[in-house]
Amino acid sequence: MQRNYIHTIAVFLLAAVIWSGCKKYEQFPVDKVTGNYVFDPLDSAGVNAQSFLYGIYAIVKNGHNRVGGDYLDAASDDAVSSKTGGNIPVTLIATNAVTAFNFPGAENLWEGTNLSQSPNNTGIPESFWAGIRNANIFINGIGVVPVKGGLANGTTTAQVWRSEARFLRAYFYFELVRRYGGVPLLGNKVYNIGEDLSLPRSSFADCIAYITSECDAIKDSLITAPVADADNYRATKGAAMTLKMKALLLAASPLFNGNNIDNANNLTGYTNYDANRWVQAAQAAKDVIDLHSYALNPSFTDIFLNQNNSERIFIRPGNNTTNIETGNGPVGFSAGGTGNTSPTQELVDAFPMQNGLPITDPASGYLVSDPYSVLSDVKRDPRFTATIFYNGAKWLNGTVQTYEGGPGKPNSSLQQTVSGYYMRKFMGNFETSATFSNHSSDWIIMRYAEVLLAYAEARNEVEPAPQADVYEQLYAIRARAGIEAGAGGSYGLAPGMTREQMRAVIQNEWRIEFAFEEHRYFDIRRWKIAGTVMNQPRTGISVVKSGNAFTYNPVTVLTTVFKESQYLYPIPYNEVAKNPNMKQNPGH
Amino acid sequence: MRKIILLICIIINIIPGYLLAQNRVVTGTVRDLQGPLPGVSVGEKNVPGNGAVTDAGGKFKVTLKGKSNALIFRFVGYVTRELNVAGEEKSIDVTMASDNQALGEVVVVGYGKTTRITNTGSVSTINAAEIRNVPTANVQNALTGRLPGFFSQQGSGQPGKDASDFYIRGVSSLNPAGNKPLIIVDDVEYTYDQLQQINVNEIASISVLKDASTTAIYGIKGANGVLVVTTRRGKLGKPQINVRVEGGVQTPTKIPKFLDAYQSATLINQAEINDGQTPEFTQDDLNLFKNGQDPYGHPNVNWYDAIFKQYSYQQNTNLDISGGNNVVKYFISGGALNQSGLVRSFPDPRGNVNTNYNFKRYNFRSNLDLKANKTLDLRLDVTTRFSTTNSPNLTAASALSEVFDFSRLTPFTAPFLNPDGSYAYAYSRFNSGHLPTLNARLATGGYQNAKRTDYNIMFNATQQLNAITDGLSVTARVAYSSQEQYTRGTGNYGPIPSYHYDPASKSYLLNPGGTYVFPNIYYSGNTNIYTTNVNVQLFSNYDRTFNSKHHVSGLVLLNQQSQTFDAYDQLDPASVGVPAKFQGVSVSGNYEYDGKYLLDLKAAYNGTDRFASNHRFGLFPAIGIGYNLSGEKFFKEAFPVFGLFKIRGSYGIVGSDAAPNNRYIYAQNYIQNPNNYPFGESPINYNMFYEGNLANGNVVWEKQKETNLALDLNMLKDNRLSATIEVFRNIRYDQLIVPNNVPDIIGIGLPAINVGRTRNQGFDGQIGYHSSIGNVQWGTNFVFSYAKNKILYESEAAPAYAWLARTGQPLNQPFGYHSLGYYTEQDLANVATYQNANGGSNAGNKTIAIPDNGLPLHAGDLKYQDLNGDGFINIFDQRPIGHPNLPNTNLGLNLQASYKGFSVSVLLQGSFNYSFIITGTGIEPFIGQFQPIHLESWTPENTAAAGYPRLTTNKSSVNSPTYYPSDYWLVNAHYVRLKTVDIGYQFPTRMLPFKLNSARIYMSAYNLFTWDNYRKYQQDPEISTNTAGDAYINQRVLIMGLQISL
Repeated sequence: MQRNYIHTIAVFLLAAVIWSGCKKYEQFPVDKVTGNYVFDPLDSAGVNAQSFLYGIYAIVKNGHNRVGGDYLDAASDDAVSSKTGGNIPVTLIATNAVTAFNFPGAENLWEGTNLSQSPNNTGIPESFWAGIRNANIFINGIGVVPVKGGLANGTTTAQVWRSEARFLRAYFYFELVRRYGGVPLLGNKVYNIGEDLSLPRSSFADCIAYITSECDAIKDSLITAPVADADNYRATKGAAMTLKMKALLLAASPLFNGNNIDNANNLTGYTNYDANRWVQAAQAAKDVIDLHSYALNPSFTDIFLNQNNSERIFIRPGNNTTNIETGNGPVGFSAGGTGNTSPTQELVDAFPMQNGLPITDPASGYLVSDPYSVLSDVKRDPRFTATIFYNGAKWLNGTVQTYEGGPGKPNSSLQQTVSGYYMRKFMGNFETSATFSNHSSDWIIMRYAEVLLAYAEARNEVEPAPQADVYEQLYAIRARAGIEAGAGGSYGLAPGMTREQMRAVIQNEWRIEFAFEEHRYFDIRRWKIAGTVMNQPRTGISVVKSGNAFTYNPVTVLTTVFKESQYLYPIPYNEVAKNPNMKQNPGH
Repeated sequence: MRKIILLICIIINIIPGYLLAQNRVVTGTVRDLQGPLPGVSVGEKNVPGNGAVTDAGGKFKVTLKGKSNALIFRFVGYVTRELNVAGEEKSIDVTMASDNQALGEVVVVGYGKTTRITNTGSVSTINAAEIRNVPTANVQNALTGRLPGFFSQQGSGQPGKDASDFYIRGVSSLNPAGNKPLIIVDDVEYTYDQLQQINVNEIASISVLKDASTTAIYGIKGANGVLVVTTRRGKLGKPQINVRVEGGVQTPTKIPKFLDAYQSATLINQAEINDGQTPEFTQDDLNLFKNGQDPYGHPNVNWYDAIFKQYSYQQNTNLDISGGNNVVKYFISGGALNQSGLVRSFPDPRGNVNTNYNFKRYNFRSNLDLKANKTLDLRLDVTTRFSTTNSPNLTAASALSEVFDFSRLTPFTAPFLNPDGSYAYAYSRFNSGHLPTLNARLATGGYQNAKRTDYNIMFNATQQLNAITDGLSVTARVAYSSQEQYTRGTGNYGPIPSYHYDPASKSYLLNPGGTYVFPNIYYSGNTNIYTTNVNVQLFSNYDRTFNSKHHVSGLVLLNQQSQTFDAYDQLDPASVGVPAKFQGVSVSGNYEYDGKYLLDLKAAYNGTDRFASNHRFGLFPAIGIGYNLSGEKFFKEAFPVFGLFKIRGSYGIVGSDAAPNNRYIYAQNYIQNPNNYPFGESPINYNMFYEGNLANGNVVWEKQKETNLALDLNMLKDNRLSATIEVFRNIRYDQLIVPNNVPDIIGIGLPAINVGRTRNQGFDGQIGYHSSIGNVQWGTNFVFSYAKNKILYESEAAPAYAWLARTGQPLNQPFGYHSLGYYTEQDLANVATYQNANGGSNAGNKTIAIPDNGLPLHAGDLKYQDLNGDGFINIFDQRPIGHPNLPNTNLGLNLQASYKGFSVSVLLQGSFNYSFIITGTGIEPFIGQFQPIHLESWTPENTAAAGYPRLTTNKSSVNSPTYYPSDYWLVNAHYVRLKTVDIGYQFPTRMLPFKLNSARIYMSAYNLFTWDNYRKYQQDPEISTNTAGDAYINQRVLIMGLQISL
């Protein structure tokens, strides 16, 4: 019996030893990075905080082949996708085959396909609401980080960074508002789960007021152009002022300025017309011009290739690549090219001759038999050659041959142009090179020519008849483009145009100067002309070669459809289902 | 239990043997299917007190005294047997059949045992001897159809990766990780992986715990049911050696058939003509494909036959020794299993490496019980498993998926070898990758070889504390396990040489991007599993009977566990080295009055570190009650037919701590993203920080309320009819799911929150009957399981239409379109008319809807029902179709018969009420290979009878099950399988040489025949839904074996 007790004690002892040998739980997973690490009150270099700011910048989109491999403008009347089959995002948009629940992901900036960073996901958030949230986190958090340095005017680096985040937030709102109309304004609040997110949409007017007031508030606490090479991606004072101008121009435009698509609905625009909105837009443009920080780049093609040229106001940087050439270049060259983008005949016809006269003008010198002036002495606007590859255009020491059955349009199962044209814009100057080489693929979101044209457009709407300052902006843009000044220095523009005539000229100038830069797609909406232009078929050209001669026959390549409901995007179906206060846009 | 009976029998039987005069002497041996049975009581009929007990070798000797000439053999857990020995001159051999439903059969539950009479909870149990001959590497594959409430699906037949997924009473959690049953082996938690590695020869019994009263002791881990395995231990007696050697062949349950080059080319032409394109192949091409006169220019290779053998081999060898005396009892076993793969052998010109599929496993176990003194018992169990899994180093999931994949090779893509013996490559515009042929890549591509080592060690000390009070004991236990897997392999630094032979010019064209010489070979290797688990348990048992009627027992358990994961941890890839901890206290108390009134109380208070420190521990109580009416005198008199008539019920709450994706849902995290986003003029990539998914500080475990009611019956003579029928209803609540009703303007990913709620209810049970006709003994056991679940709440955003709602549907309910057959020319003309009248849009066309994504339509394309009548086919028109992939009904019918030395056991198993859709390479033209079903495709000449829609080259058309899932593609499947067959012959003892105790030869089969109800897909019926043709098809196995006992 005695021995049993000894054993009993031994067993208890053993048990006690192993039990006590087990530590307590770790109270927290120590490998997890917390907010305190990102916004570190001891880090005078603000390394992690800056990384967080980089993360917000990265949410800004690079527009090259952004929407399902196509440029967004391939959903406008400027181009169509070269892809065939179904489920092509730009084609779905252009043919009104999108709805509140199947809006193509790449252009669905509300939902995106990636709201956040999970441990398994190293992508960049795609939703602009993620951008707004991240900006708010930064705005609220940066205050504790004692970053050294600052601007000459006394703004600390932390304040500059905060203003950059506010700029980005305003930019994200702008991108949402021009697509959806009024959206919920969240202020600086970072919402958590469990908080009431059944927010109603703010009115269009409030959204514009918010964006412009933010731009006003931050413009003096940002760096100013010209910036150091390493800062070329950063928001500047000029960028903030240009964003304000863009917001005011949007607000003054016919789609929103009175007579909006749902007239009494303050979510879809202003419920009244106010001519003063054009005055404000013009003034905002004038303010940028008066900064004298920017100038037109002498070469049109080099705007997109030369970094830190004085025309760039805000960019989304891209790597040095040949992606633009390989993705959109004409087929039939050994260096490659898959010809994603097929510009339309409508865009081609919008380019005037080098004398500035539209091709419809009998005095222009345009020949139907030689539409691209390959042989003729009277050339087209140089921007035409810089924007479009046509049959006979020079490329890679050779010639683009898009005649039927030619190397550039072999009519095989290979992807190729459907319109007879390829996009040339943004590409390097490889007309006389054997192959491509890497060049910058920065995406220009704002450039100075836009300010000049916006000024011209707004001033034209303010005055009963266009004044000299309207003409001057067009002269400057056309002169840089390489259009001949001509007798009287009018660059082909008739003097004494009416407001309506001038409006047509300005709208055409927007189209040819900013082709494929995500302007046309929004411009036909804000001018409320999409219902007209998009309900006509998209055409291309069928070039038939016989001997050494070509004949040109227009062909329909896509029947686009536009309903009034398309002026604004549908709020995503899920969002309306989740939030009873989220009012859907009309017609969806 | 058996020991006690043995003792009683000795006392009863041996003493009278001295007293009475001798008459005729009968000797013999008693066995079950595994070998000699010691301890069987052998009595003479109608002469109470005359009999014997079999010794360690199963031998007995009885002197007959009465006139019946009959002996009765009784043993707990076996069917009682009566044998007429009138004509038997020599030694007789008796085989006994096991009986899971016998009254005294020991049922293993968590931390203890019970019997059919005293159990109050829901437990299905099986004596592992019954499944020891099933020729499968994984124990869970052998349980299908044998245990009520056990649901399984075997998704792959690849050697080493062929373990079934299994669930207990179906599924109830919306959280996919929240349905895995807990696996307990000898009271220690095992992982799924570890369970697969166990050798069935080492297992004594398997129980499935299904209700709260049995699982509450596991508390936070009990909600998904528990699979309890106990291993074999030594028994008193002289050493008994068992050897089992078996070998046989494996062959796929279905061999896929593919069309030849001529038929494939014809169908490609047909698809291109359908799409208005120029046909790919000329009539000359087609003729050459057909007549085979140009085998290099126009090859025609059946790649399945070229790559795969008809059979592969399987061998299994087991040796075990068990025995014991009053101090030491031991069970020591070793086993070796070898399964080879179906791929043919292709020699590598550079050397010879085995790239075939192969699985080898070696199991060793030593279970020792040591009686240190009268009150202290020590126990040391050591087991280890070594395995290697070999597979070819292919980029695709398996060699079979390569054969299914149209983009990699086609019958006309390349010859097997070029005329000069060099390798060919895929030379076709459909194979833009120009891959060398599969035989070339299998021969030279190298292999991946996973070597795995599992250790389990358990040390256990039990001290009887009778000195304090009778029936009290305390046990301390330390269990350690580790699993390590190192995968090494070989591969090529670059492409291998391959050529396209042009028979016209007799020239060889090098693979573009290829090389003329073989590249160097590299070796690779990494540790991809490294898991250790330390489990410490301290418990005290109390078990005592007062006044021979009041039986009281109880348990207090402290349990702590710490698990360290490897870098590829399944819970969270970022959690390298952070151990998962578990801690808890469980208590259990039972009271039984005279075998009639049963009360069982259990509770656990435990928690894991997956939750925030203030939300870690939960209480999980359960109660079970039982009333054994057949123990009442009045009942016995009124219904003497019942040997057992018991009703029982239980209710309790158990939990599940599985969390989706992120192990630490409660911790807010920021994530550094080294993504390539360039800043500055000379682009520099900087790190970026993002906020991680939101945290949920209040996250807790899922809970389940479980109600179980059951009836246990044994009736007729010798209790030859037995039945258990159970009805259950489980409500799983506080389920962790990512909410679907939070607007995206929050701008961040959401954490799982405790909001989901489902109901799972059903019934299961078994009915057994055994009898004998002359010397033929036979028995049958019918097992049925039915579990139907329903989502009660899953925080769904308000659906636009009622039919889109997930709530109210079963878990994993497939949604899709309803097929209305094929568009006709008339349909399309009507659409055009409507569009012309309505501005080019089909919006509002209530008669014929078209897809809304701009796809061109043709006659022969699949037409779907436009549920909302808007003229378009889109996601709003998807409704529930078919059933979830997991069958909700499982049936098993086991039939056994034996006559003298012969025995037959057959298991028919069926699964019902489930659905699957195959997509991608398994069925879609131009993605997968052309199959016989494609010959039935719609053509203008074959409209009504078409068995497949119009062929098209467009891979995302309405005819694609990937893009347009519909009930056209869905199979509401069921199948019945001849799951196992075991035919054996036990040699009579007199025929045995070398003093062998016993010898048995047997033939055993697995998945022998399958009856299913579909012909669209060439896949095994246990295939997971949406699997492209990439599964290694399940195997049919047929083996011969010999078992010897010394």
